[in-house]
Amino acid sequence: MTAILEARGLTKAYGSVRVLEDVDFDLQDGEAHVVIGPNGAGKTTLFRCLSGETRINGGTIRFAGEDVSGLTGAQRVKRGIGRTFQVARIFPSMSAFENLIVAIETRERTHQGLRFTFGYIAPRRAVVAEAERLVTELGLEDTVDDVAGTLSHGDKKRLELAMCLALKPRLLMLDEPTAGMSPSDRAEAVRLITRVRDSYGLSLLLTEHDMEVVFGLATRLTVLHHGEIIASGQPEAVRADPRVREVYLGQH
Amino acid sequence: MIDYRARFRSNLAIAACGLAAFAVVPFVANSGLMFLAGLVAINIVFGMSWNLLFSGAGLLSFGHAMFFGGGAYAMALVSLHWPGLPFLLGLAIGAGAGALIALVFGVIALRRASGVYFAVLTLVFSELIHLVITKTTFLGRNDGLVGIPRPTIETGLFTLDLTSATAYYYFIVVAMACAAFALWCFQNSPAGRLIQAIRQDNLRTAFLGTSIFGWQLTAFVLSGALAAFCGAVMVPFTQIASPEIAYWTVSTQPILFTLLGGAGNFWGPAVGAILFGAIDYGTRAMHGLSEITVGTLLLLVVLLIPGGLLGFLQHRRQKKRRKPTEPAPKRTEAQP
Ligand SMILES: Nc1ncnc2c1ncn2[C@@H]1O[C@H](COP(=O)(O)OP(=O)(O)OP(=O)(O)O)[C@@H](O)[C@H]1O
Ligand SMILES: [Mg+2]
Repeated sequence: MTAILEARGLTKAYGSVRVLEDVDFDLQDGEAHVVIGPNGAGKTTLFRCLSGETRINGGTIRFAGEDVSGLTGAQRVKRGIGRTFQVARIFPSMSAFENLIVAIETRERTHQGLRFTFGYIAPRRAVVAEAERLVTELGLEDTVDDVAGTLSHGDKKRLELAMCLALKPRLLMLDEPTAGMSPSDRAEAVRLITRVRDSYGLSLLLTEHDMEVVFGLATRLTVLHHGEIIASGQPEAVRADPRVREVYLGQH
Repeated sequence: MIDYRARFRSNLAIAACGLAAFAVVPFVANSGLMFLAGLVAINIVFGMSWNLLFSGAGLLSFGHAMFFGGGAYAMALVSLHWPGLPFLLGLAIGAGAGALIALVFGVIALRRASGVYFAVLTLVFSELIHLVITKTTFLGRNDGLVGIPRPTIETGLFTLDLTSATAYYYFIVVAMACAAFALWCFQNSPAGRLIQAIRQDNLRTAFLGTSIFGWQLTAFVLSGALAAFCGAVMVPFTQIASPEIAYWTVSTQPILFTLLGGAGNFWGPAVGAILFGAIDYGTRAMHGLSEITVGTLLLLVVLLIPGGLLGFLQHRRQKKRRKPTEPAPKRTEAQP
């Protein structure tokens, strides 16, 4: 296996508060890498640094062999990094279906030229068909016509996942994909994520608080604590690590 | 699933009714009323150009007079100093002037400011342009540029004589219809949806892999070009370009039209502009009454029906159609 994502010496501070301290982080091609850690450990901050939402104060980030440290988030998306947010971000006044249409059209826009700005009064047939495929794939049938802002937390998360899949990423980063879900929805979400991971051939980076979900998905586990990685490896090995038990799992 | 084609057809039907109404005006009204109708037609698209930013891209402009005035002055200059130039090319130069102003301002301001700070910057920039106009001899200072001729258009096959007010009135109606059509197509294109998406969640849009700045600038330049086009079309009609058309009061006009008619609807600015014109006409004998009436009406609309007249009608229709057992759909408001 080769590392698809490599971060070296990642440092991030908000003002004088150092949130990430010299973090080395690897993600192998094809793995499902879960990052856990107590609230405020810096998981979301790590996501924001890796995805390009925020500038890092030190270190380098390489994706598929290329140094992406200086690229914007949008540029990294074009290289194949997709991401969701801890609180799902969707277009609240559009229907769920239109959310998907926008995602697909945005991916395709570079091939469209001026037709993108004036050419169509309706989404192209191929775009609609692709959106419909995503709807079936992710089981969004019941909610496609609803205004996206009125969906439940879980449905918003699924819609956001569908939008990210529409971008055909190589690496997908999911920040707490099951936050706010009921236990049965969680199990369903794990199955869904596993399925899309296989069918899209994705590498996954996840954060998660729910241990069922963590051990249901992880092929590798990393524990972050106060902005430092304290353990990383096979999920079972990390679970057995005494230091991890002490600072993190022990609290639960 | 939205039926896009049905939406297109119904909007086309609305446009056709509106066009028919404007077409009969010269037959049923005197020249004064026709003149007002011509200005209303221009105001409709001027209002729409502002709403492209406000409801489309989520950008607030308090300085649309800079585009309107810019287009008007560009047109006036071209007609006075370059009489041989084809008229349609002059209009294109007018629109181009607005696009250029928008481009320069947008590049400077869009990255630096947002929300009300952005709006105040548009106001300041617009006032600056107004000031430059009043101090430049070339632009007629406070007197403006007068005696702008109405054109004749050579098509090669035939000559279109627009020198009479009535002929030019029809030209305005056709030009504004074309502009509104182009705008509708843009707003319903993938790009229009994308700009709408940026307004609703710009971070999500960035993480769909697109430049927020680039698309906001596109919307800003289009809006500026369209507003300038309106100004350029107006100048041969009134035959004068005076500094007032670049003054901040002009910037308030499209805001009033849009808020009165309803920002959430493509036709909102049109309804607002027509209503505004009607009030202006109804109160023309009494100086100052127009402002009071419009002010009161706007206050009532903003306080009682924030969605504007069309928003209000739509809301009522939905309420009537829904069965009483069904819960009301939650109203979602996009974040700025
Ligand atoms: N924009 C910000 N400005 C200042 N401090 C911040 C900012 N964002 C995060 N922090 C701080 O950085 C630390 C790490 O936050 P982060 O959101 O990365 O944690 P997390 O591991 O994702 O937590 P959770 O499990 O609650 O989502 C916290 O102490 C937080 O207060
Ligand atoms: Mg977090």
